Amino acid sequence: MFSHLFKLIWNKKKQNALLIIEMFISFIVMFAVFTLVVFSYNNYKQPMGFDYNNVWVINFFPPENITRNDSVSMFHDELKKTMLAMRQIEEISFTGNNVPFSMSTSNSSINYGSHKNVMANMYQAEETFNKVMKMQMIEGRWFTKADDASKYTPVVINRKLKEELFGSENAVGKVLGEQIIEKGTAENRFRVMGVTENVKDKGSYQAIENGMYIKMDSGWARWSGTMILKVKPGTDAAFESKLFKTLSNAIGTNIEIEHLDKKLVSKNKVMLVPMIIAFVVAGFLIINVALGLFGVLWYNINKRRGEIGLRRAVGATGDSVSKQLVGEVLVLSTISLVIGCFFAFQFPLLNVFDLSAGIYLAAIALSIIFIYALVTLCAFYPGKQAAAIYPAVALHEE
Amino acid sequence: MIPAETSENVLQNSHIINHQNVMISLKNIEKVYRTDTVETLALNNISLNINKGEFLSIMGPSGCGKSTLLNIMGLLDAPTRGEVSIDKHDTTQLNDKKLAAFRNRKLGFIFQSYHLINDLQVLDNVELPLLYRNSSAKERRQLSIEALEKVGLSNRMKHFPTQLSGGQKQRVAIARAIVGQPEIILADEPTGNLDSAMGSEIMDILLQLNERDGTTIVMVTHDENMARKTHRLVRLFDGTQVQ
Repeated sequence: MFSHLFKLIWNKKKQNALLIIEMFISFIVMFAVFTLVVFSYNNYKQPMGFDYNNVWVINFFPPENITRNDSVSMFHDELKKTMLAMRQIEEISFTGNNVPFSMSTSNSSINYGSHKNVMANMYQAEETFNKVMKMQMIEGRWFTKADDASKYTPVVINRKLKEELFGSENAVGKVLGEQIIEKGTAENRFRVMGVTENVKDKGSYQAIENGMYIKMDSGWARWSGTMILKVKPGTDAAFESKLFKTLSNAIGTNIEIEHLDKKLVSKNKVMLVPMIIAFVVAGFLIINVALGLFGVLWYNINKRRGEIGLRRAVGATGDSVSKQLVGEVLVLSTISLVIGCFFAFQFPLLNVFDLSAGIYLAAIALSIIFIYALVTLCAFYPGKQAAAIYPAVALHEE
Repeated sequence: MIPAETSENVLQNSHIINHQNVMISLKNIEKVYRTDTVETLALNNISLNINKGEFLSIMGPSGCGKSTLLNIMGLLDAPTRGEVSIDKHDTTQLNDKKLAAFRNRKLGFIFQSYHLINDLQVLDNVELPLLYRNSSAKERRQLSIEALEKVGLSNRMKHFPTQLSGGQKQRVAIARAIVGQPEIILADEPTGNLDSAMGSEIMDILLQLNERDGTTIVMVTHDENMARKTHRLVRLFDGTQVQ
């Protein structure tokens, strides 16, 4: 029966070409959508790598009258002392403005041995940063004040960067370079003090990226207008108000306090926007394809009433006529999917967009299932209608 | 696809009527077409026995119920009242699956407008009934070639129906009707679309099938000359048998 269906379809290839193209385009669109979905879902499944609950972010304008590095350090120490005196605050760290779930990103290229220009997100952090974030160390340790005397700037890198630069080797003690663009070949040199677990600091759907936490020096501190603090569970708005007043007295105005858990919700919404747009576009396309398929099949059945009557006369049951029509569409969709898969498989083979092959393969599988389900659904009712055609009537009409 | 056993089960399970040599038995057949407002009596109390190996023709004016009667004999339509027995098997209570198997094994159809599938080659058109049996591709091909040889069209196997003349198309339709070696052939005005020479050619093939293979043939026709060549003639008028 399959060879019979192939013959029928092959002999009507011109009529079927548009249908095949329509299903091919649908497959490609669904492949793109499912790639995005699988990619986002894979990211979502990854642990966040830190505890964002009860972590607040304070943004402020550094006081303009404190300009010298030692004065800045004293100001920071005083501010921290004042805040840590509040029993609701467990830990504080000054940091750069690319705090978790913010819209800011800071990155640079790292060199190590044969690995040149490896892009990594750079985070300015203090020695208490990991305690606020409750990050998990997998090698070495977080930097301390004692590391200030080090010849090279102490850094902690994340697991992904470690694996890319060092593979299974121990990263602790290794020296990395960062090219300073404005100074030609000169490099900033960093010593790896430890390796931390990967952190998803751009939202639940973010792909894990290379990360490097650099010990903030007094030069950087001058410009730092951001701190993160861990508060005790259950700390309420009354304390937030009190904290705000305390900070206003110490720093001045333009103080903003944000909660990381709320920032995550809002960041996730932003990250869902492209997916929602993709779903809406794909949804419209699929509705059009479904209506088109349904219409073509419906038209085919009316056009082929004589053939259906004949098949019934020579021994086909209503059920087998219905199955034949559904089978024909499935064969057509198989042809479309074979063509579609040829193009889709180029993505993992050519490593387009630098995604893992598993994501593309899962997206291909999901797209195939989706297209088969769609065409079966669209063919089901016209198929049932064909099964209900009374052979005597159909043959007489012809 | 219908399993081969199905038709055998049909033969085993259906009620057996004890009439020697009767291939088709119609008993008090009545067919009424109903719409919301009109009720049309297409066949009125037709009783008819057709013997094995008989060549029967049915004549009558247009709209008298000839094709309806043929459709009922061919199990393509169900009577409103009455019984249809084929080869001593009561078909009245058979479900769609069993009816399909019965048509496939026992009956061959020839239509005035050929009913060939234009998107399939002649050979594929002929093997159509065999697709609904448990037969291998090789066997289907062999039987189809033999059937085409019988109607003298073995040199047109790879042609499409649109490349054939009317007479050739009807010969393909005959090959399709006989490929499954049915005991009965039901022909609905098989020469109706053909000129007299072509018509005679087709009639000769049908006569040959009847005489050589002993196939029971029921033919609806408007042509007195063709009807005269058959064993028996039944005339219908306004749904009633008048001869």
